Amino acid sequence: MIRLTDAPIDRRLKIVRIGGGHRIHRKLLSLGFHKDDIIELDSRSILRGPVLVRGLTSDTSVALGRGIARNILVEIVGDKR
Amino acid sequence: MATKDKHPDIIFLGQPNCGKSALFNAIAGLKVETSNFPGTTVKHTHSEVNVAGKVFNIIDLPGTYSLNPSDEIEKVALSHLFFEEPDLIINVVDASILGRSLELTQELIELGYPMVIALNMMDLAEKKGIKTDIQKLEKLLGVPVIPTVAIHGRGIKELLVTALQTLEERRPISPLKWTRDVEDKVEEFQRAIPENFLVVGNRRFAAIKMLEVGKRFFNQTLKDMSPDLKKARDKVRDDLENMHGVPAYEVIAAERHHLAAKIFEESSEVVRIRKISWLERVDDIIMHPFLGYLILLAVFLAFFFIIFQVGNPLEELLLNPISGLRIFLSGQLGTGILFYLLDGLLQGIGGGLAIVLPYFLPLLFLMSFLEDIGYLARTSFLMDTFMHRIGLHGKSVSPFILGFGCNVPAIISTRILESRRDKVITTLLIPFIPCTARTTIILALVAFYLGPVWALGFYVFNIILLGVLGKIISFFYKGPSPGLILEIPSLKIPSLKNIWKKTYFQLKAFAKFAWPVLIVGSVVLGIMQFFHLDRVINVILSPLVERALGLPQELGVTLVFGFLRKELSLIMMLQALGVDYHNLMSVITKEQLIVFTVFVSFFIPCLSTVAIIWREVGKKIAFLSMGLNIVVAIILSILIRIFLTLS
Repeated sequence: MIRLTDAPIDRRLKIVRIGGGHRIHRKLLSLGFHKDDIIELDSRSILRGPVLVRGLTSDTSVALGRGIARNILVEIVGDKR
Repeated sequence: MATKDKHPDIIFLGQPNCGKSALFNAIAGLKVETSNFPGTTVKHTHSEVNVAGKVFNIIDLPGTYSLNPSDEIEKVALSHLFFEEPDLIINVVDASILGRSLELTQELIELGYPMVIALNMMDLAEKKGIKTDIQKLEKLLGVPVIPTVAIHGRGIKELLVTALQTLEERRPISPLKWTRDVEDKVEEFQRAIPENFLVVGNRRFAAIKMLEVGKRFFNQTLKDMSPDLKKARDKVRDDLENMHGVPAYEVIAAERHHLAAKIFEESSEVVRIRKISWLERVDDIIMHPFLGYLILLAVFLAFFFIIFQVGNPLEELLLNPISGLRIFLSGQLGTGILFYLLDGLLQGIGGGLAIVLPYFLPLLFLMSFLEDIGYLARTSFLMDTFMHRIGLHGKSVSPFILGFGCNVPAIISTRILESRRDKVITTLLIPFIPCTARTTIILALVAFYLGPVWALGFYVFNIILLGVLGKIISFFYKGPSPGLILEIPSLKIPSLKNIWKKTYFQLKAFAKFAWPVLIVGSVVLGIMQFFHLDRVINVILSPLVERALGLPQELGVTLVFGFLRKELSLIMMLQALGVDYHNLMSVITKEQLIVFTVFVSFFIPCLSTVAIIWREVGKKIAFLSMGLNIVVAIILSILIRIFLTLS
């Protein structure tokens, strides 16, 4: 289990836990990001900036601030297609 | 809407960026702006349409991801939906991300109002290889589904016909069932709701919402209203949490999520393995951790130069006949009141046409272009890290960029920010962004007389100023800031029609509201000049204008008018100094020109901006904003004056 901010770019990831406040959790749920969903890290910005995440279940890309991404725990489940 | 007329209300509701406004536009004509940035419709728009001889009220609500609001824009959508019970809902769904979109659709079905689904962006879904069986989807959801492509007007007629039918039949829709154990718990709580309890929609919907809600004040209200009900609710919530090991709201969200995925799988197939499209390749470059920033810089430089390159010759072309007319007038009429009146009128009309429009039009067009292709949301991602340095985050970027167009919609758009602190700081900073009016002044004065490099320097200086001010304000105003969570919509090929519509829409707003103010202001100044009233104001302001800033005394009166609209300062500057545009440099110096531009740019938010700040964040912040601008403008102008005289 690793933090989303530490996850590799070229792998498929499974969301294990979404930490942070319930408001952030709810917001992510409404955007279609749930526990056990498969996601990919698409881009990481320079200077400790945000990450760009694509949910494969919901086919949605979101930008997540570093503080938020750090509280999301993921596990590597395979390679990107 | 206090008085509800008898025409049926049809509400357009959907997730952000699903093409809802485009669909609404296609039906209502030119009424709302559409864009490729989540959260552009910040307040609802309504319009009356006539379909087959029947009149309807159609209402476009801001996009919302769910019926549990997380920011103010979503609250607008929901309060309307809950309190103005509509006769029909048209749920606009992005067919290319059907799985996720069905989560909101399910919530709307739970609400139980008559509904039709517009399965929009079918073309995009096809390109992605998603093939949806419409009949099957209809059957699974129990709601009519009409495929549409709003930007090409496809499916609009069928949608309206079906809407009409559904409205007449008033066919009840029944909620989709979840897994047994969750369903049992919802029913258990539903039974605990007293018969006379006032609910929105229906009892099941009310039960679910009470289980999901997270607001502390709601829980207190519930306790005050009915302690028993709160007890029953808390018990069911605890049961759900114990059964699933996650909070009740997550249990319910997961039910919808899984059901949505199931419905998507059963109704649609992804026919070919998706290849990476060229747009996605472009996207990778735009969002690249290094190249992305180079492109961002290039885009804004190009932005600036295009506006100047288009505006400058256009301005020259339009100015000459107006100067000619003015000379002709003064020759014919001498210096009577008629001359002052007509001169004011000419300056107002001509100034708007020849000085403002040449820069305003390309700026609007380019802004619309960036918005339409989806670049605005991407700048939020790229700029997030820099925004953190000044105590904000990436979501404030889009209000800032909108601020380059006009501060008023920029301040309204701060509603996308979840925390009050972020909203207040962003609102205080927006008036320091050079809006079109100020860009016009910068381009028409600085770039025109001193060259485009000076104008560019002005912009760079402005952005540095913004950063410094942001840092100072966040130092004094600490508080929680949730950080960036923003959907990045897929890049779109720009639709010229869409861009032009948006540009036209804003241009019309300028012609309707701003231009008359310019004209009336100029005429009033003309009359004041005839009666020498302007001199009184000039004398009163002379300690500031003449002593502190070193400007000609005559410019004092233009500042007062500049509070109404910034362009007015520019147009009246010429009128007040009694010269035409080409001879300006004969009456003031280069240094004075720069000091004047700096002062006018920053000294006060214009009247409409102050009004909108007042409405959005309150009187205190509105006064704080005015004070901040005046202090900053005076300090900066004096510093620049000293610097320019020394160098």
